[in-house]
Amino acid sequence: MNDAQSRRVGPLVLLLPLLALMLAFYLWPLLQTVINSFHPFELSGIDFSRWTFDNYARLFDPYYASVFLRTARISLIITLITCALAYPVALYIVGLRSRLQAIILLVYMAPWLVNVVVKAFGWSLILSGNGVINRSLRGLGVIDAPLQLMFNETGIIIGLVHGHFVFALLPLWAALGELDPRLKWAAANLGASRAQVFLKVVLPLTLPALLAGAFINFTMNMAAFATPALLGGSRARVISFVAYEVNLVELNWPFGGALAMALLVLTLVPIWLSLRIASGRKTAPVEA
Amino acid sequence: MLLIVNIAMLIFMLAPLLVVVWMSTTPTQLFILPFTDFSLRWYSAAFAHPGFLEAFWLSVRLAFVSSLISVVLSLLASYALLRGRRVRGLELADGLFMSPLIVPAVVFGIAMLQFINLIGLYNTFASLVLAHVIIVTPFSIRTLQSSLRALPVELEWAAENLGASRLTVLLRIVLPVCARGIMAAFLLAFLISFSEVTVTIFITGPGYQTLPVRIYNYLTDQVDPTVAAISTMLIVLSIVLALLLDRLGGLVNLKK
Repeated sequence: MNDAQSRRVGPLVLLLPLLALMLAFYLWPLLQTVINSFHPFELSGIDFSRWTFDNYARLFDPYYASVFLRTARISLIITLITCALAYPVALYIVGLRSRLQAIILLVYMAPWLVNVVVKAFGWSLILSGNGVINRSLRGLGVIDAPLQLMFNETGIIIGLVHGHFVFALLPLWAALGELDPRLKWAAANLGASRAQVFLKVVLPLTLPALLAGAFINFTMNMAAFATPALLGGSRARVISFVAYEVNLVELNWPFGGALAMALLVLTLVPIWLSLRIASGRKTAPVEA
Repeated sequence: MLLIVNIAMLIFMLAPLLVVVWMSTTPTQLFILPFTDFSLRWYSAAFAHPGFLEAFWLSVRLAFVSSLISVVLSLLASYALLRGRRVRGLELADGLFMSPLIVPAVVFGIAMLQFINLIGLYNTFASLVLAHVIIVTPFSIRTLQSSLRALPVELEWAAENLGASRLTVLLRIVLPVCARGIMAAFLLAFLISFSEVTVTIFITGPGYQTLPVRIYNYLTDQVDPTVAAISTMLIVLSIVLALLLDRLGGLVNLKK
């Protein structure tokens, strides 16, 4: 086997076309953006003759700092709501017959398959001043003036709880399914109440999956673009929206590059943390 | 209690999709709440709208070309990763191929925007193809790897012992045996490319607006049932592609 394997040097050559493409049109653009971000911006374009840290220093301007803080705050709220909802949903699903489980999971996966722009459009039909919710409430006489449900943080939160729900649900569902039911029986036999069984047995054992899903969810919330742009817009600017404006409206690429790198670091840290948690688990790690 | 949460969440999950479908069949310009009448006029309006039709064909061409390139290159690369000699740094290459899943689309979009302007590819079909090949490649690689792993290496040895060249082995053994996996990889790549929004918004010029980008731009200034009709057709298309994929076993890889 080893002999035969080492004889086959040839196949390795087949790696090269994709490798070349990825290096030239993926890694190089990313590195070029890093390089651009260390040069000053002039009206004529990027001044490649001088180097500077100013673009990174500017990230700490009160305006940009507040955008980062807002994005992190909204993302955290979304993650907390998502986890609070995903846990009972996962608990319910694992109790069903496996055929039914597959069907219900498919419904939860459906929004993932539908284009993000279409989903945002659907939400705008529900949330806008003339939308389903405001019309129904006015029809029932509950409110006089329409509630502001989009073009603010509420719109972003609703849209992203919906859009990223399945990524928190699937790891939880997998972990709860792997849980040995005898552990629960044993705890119950020893006199634990249902609440105690949940708090002392089920929750601690599925905590790694909950955290892994939460980190992935948080990362996706931080990086989301289309949903916050359409449901929050310029009245609730998040990092990705500001990065869009800087790169495509102001055409300030060095600073736009610095914003992109800051966003990259802010999303890689939670992913790295979630991988640490996943590798710390004793059961088989769930691959994304 | 759990049941109530679950039912509420299922409604929450489906609500925006159902509202879009519902609006696409209202006869009036405005969306009237008690739903009474049914009309398909917005569907004919959608087909009569030259901008959307053009954008649809651009999206199809783009998804087809980039999925094809990605699947061919990923098939070669996955085969190399699986059967090639173990050399150091191979994990790095695999990590590089998978990393577009981790790098946020906004970041890659900005990098690609700055890069294609620097090399003079702005507002070209080629720049969109390059970006989309990179975006869909992690999906092709994962699907193809699981398909290739199921292929017994003895089959290839037997063919080689009987005098087949390496190319013949690839074309006559690997391709036919993994045909389903290759088809699944292509469909998944097509689906991902067809619905890609963020990177495309950053890099696209006025001459090349894909369907999702056109819808995005349309939504930023107006809303009428024509978009609802187009969106409904997109929902149906996604469901059809997803069911096909499920048949080919492609979605199983994602659920893991």
